Amino acid sequence: MLDLVSLNVAGLDFTTLPQQLVNGFLLGAIYALVALGYTMVYGVLKLINFAHGEVFMLGSYGALFASWMMGFGPGGSAAAGSWVTLLLMLLMAMLVSGTAGFIIERFAYRPIRNHPRIASLITAIGLSLLLQYGGQAFLLEGKKQAITSKVNPFSDDFVFTPKKADPALLAQASALEPEVDAAQKAFDEQMKFEKSKFELSPKGDELNKVLAAAISKRDKLQNEAATSAVTIRLPKGKLIMLTTTILLMIGLWYLVMKTRMGRAMRAVSVDFNASSLMGINLNTVISFTFILGSVLAGAGAMMYSTFQSAPIDPFSGTAPGVKAFVAAVLGGIGNIPGAVVGALLMGVAENLVTWAGYSSYRDAIAFVILIAVLLFRPGGLLGSNKVEKV
Amino acid sequence: MQFNFGKWFGTRAISVLIAVVFCFLLDRFMQGTDKSYGRFLMSLAGIYVTLAVSLNLINGITGQFSIGHAAFYQIGAYTGAVLAANKFSGLAASKPLLWLLLSAFFGAVSAGLAGLIVGIPSLRLKGDYLAVVTLGIGEIVTIIAKNQKSLGEAYGLSTAKIESVFLISLLAITCIAVCRNLLKSAHGLAFLAVREDEVASAAMGVNLTRIKVTAFVLGSAFAGAAGALYAHTKAFVSPPDFSRDVSFLILTMVVLGGTGSITGTTIAAVVLFLIPEKMRDLPYVQMGTPLGVAIGIIVAVVLLRKIQEGFHGTGGQRLARNLGSVGVGAVVAFVMAKLLVMIPAFQSQINGALFRMPVLAVTLVVLMLLRPQGIFGHHEFSWSWVQKLLGKKAPETEVAA
Repeated sequence: MLDLVSLNVAGLDFTTLPQQLVNGFLLGAIYALVALGYTMVYGVLKLINFAHGEVFMLGSYGALFASWMMGFGPGGSAAAGSWVTLLLMLLMAMLVSGTAGFIIERFAYRPIRNHPRIASLITAIGLSLLLQYGGQAFLLEGKKQAITSKVNPFSDDFVFTPKKADPALLAQASALEPEVDAAQKAFDEQMKFEKSKFELSPKGDELNKVLAAAISKRDKLQNEAATSAVTIRLPKGKLIMLTTTILLMIGLWYLVMKTRMGRAMRAVSVDFNASSLMGINLNTVISFTFILGSVLAGAGAMMYSTFQSAPIDPFSGTAPGVKAFVAAVLGGIGNIPGAVVGALLMGVAENLVTWAGYSSYRDAIAFVILIAVLLFRPGGLLGSNKVEKV
Repeated sequence: MQFNFGKWFGTRAISVLIAVVFCFLLDRFMQGTDKSYGRFLMSLAGIYVTLAVSLNLINGITGQFSIGHAAFYQIGAYTGAVLAANKFSGLAASKPLLWLLLSAFFGAVSAGLAGLIVGIPSLRLKGDYLAVVTLGIGEIVTIIAKNQKSLGEAYGLSTAKIESVFLISLLAITCIAVCRNLLKSAHGLAFLAVREDEVASAAMGVNLTRIKVTAFVLGSAFAGAAGALYAHTKAFVSPPDFSRDVSFLILTMVVLGGTGSITGTTIAAVVLFLIPEKMRDLPYVQMGTPLGVAIGIIVAVVLLRKIQEGFHGTGGQRLARNLGSVGVGAVVAFVMAKLLVMIPAFQSQINGALFRMPVLAVTLVVLMLLRPQGIFGHHEFSWSWVQKLLGKKAPETEVAA
């Protein structure tokens, strides 16, 4: 097995790398749900729906309110959630997001569908601003909220240790235990004659210092032993999240590839006008696509705020929205499997940036990737470069 | 027609002289301690006009949809602030006006260079993609400023306070003049051609990359100069002053005024920067009031769209119906606001200042629904237009009499 500890390059801690990769993969799964919405809407309308991040934000509010209704709000009485709680929150988030997506398409995008594309883009920016700042005024005064961790009954972790802690260091640490115990005992004896912990006599002070030195020596060794091990913690909640994501994606695949509506969607994305001439109702298909994408974003929002415990405020949709959009471009916008691949890469990239110690730049990495992709491979990883014909 | 150099030069010299004298008089007029707020507003107006007109050069005239204009504004502002605080602190103290001019120059150069570096690769992209890349550049510049110790991190930088309405208004007028003269010249036609059809203009021998990059660099440089002046007007720069919202505010100015219309952009810039500035001190309102106004706006928009789609009558009738719809909307807004406030659920208090950005957003969406080309469209203010307007009105009144 690769000795990860000796591979300590440039101050990077390679023992935490596997955990970060797993975290990145799980985060990427949520981005994938959001990215699918971007990519499907782009597929049928050739429109970047900038308001998708705000649909995501509304979905997380849906989940928040659902949890409050079930008694997990401030001053709520409920003690612990069950899978029913989680399911109801998921459904509520999907309902809210789906409705928002439908309304946005029907009343903002549809009336200007025949105008130049820039008009739709400006409308999208306007809607995004409207939902963010309108939310700041109307949604709980725009204060930061969070879904309490009590709703999640599956709070324990699966722990894998591909590489155990160094036994020699562990033995050294445990060999120090008697010394610590002795120091503690001596100090406790002395404490009987002292007024309080903060007003020690010279003798008590002496003993206290000995105790502190012993504890710090032991802790240092224990810490060294712990960092020599490679552990991966996998919270059960996040496993449920991953399973749900995979189920939703299978459902989406079935819907797009095996049903009439899915066939219509694919036809519209190949040729907008020709499919309309073939008797496909464009309005229905476009509405359906928006609803489908928004529902997936809602599911992602619920899981993001419940299992990743992300705070919720009117601006909380922007960052995941942008990252999901980058994921969709990275995979090749309009390409459904591409969105999933791109999102997983995005999640991992983001966690790697944090791991490398540049966590303040974790939001910038999305844009760096975006610019790099657009410059070197505008079609994305799985997309194809099209030459414009006159 | 023979080219008359004397006349050509004379007109221009007189125009420049008039502009300088006007700016100087404006500066004199705004002096005094009691006018400090007015002076600040005047400076901001000049800065926003510069920003909007320079973005109009990129977005409206050349048709390259950029939504990260605040990035270049920020680069200029930080350049000015850092130089004034370190290298040129002596000059800034002894000869403030000279330094301000230099600072604007440095800001323009740095932002123009940034525009060149950004523009050459990214202007190969079109439409939505270019929009997203420019958005990304705006974000990256803000994030870098937030994390650099030498740039004051999230707190920001303080610098020398030098106010000059003279230089700011001169910059705005220069920016307008450059764009106007560009449009009047043969070079300007190439910019317009790129906007109308890239493929066709390339086929006619227009160097696409050169035109786009020129527009981008020129626009960025003006934004940078405005940024440097802003830094000294406020004596302090911090990342929130150049956030995405500022980019969107500038974009709204261009879109509202009419993409491509310098007149429209200038007017929209003055109006739109004043709205958020004035809405800062709005009182607390009950939640029902803004909701009622929103319902009124929706009713008015629905009625106006109905007229746009299905009404075929004379201009006068159309105008009457349009005004009528706006009136109905206003009445509905008033009634709904009064009614909703009676319901206890809508009685909670909201800070009125929170509605600054929603007003911009509603403007954008409603404008796209009703008049996507902006208020002025591609048109410009001209004296012949005024004459036409006056000339047309005269016979109508006669008939009416």
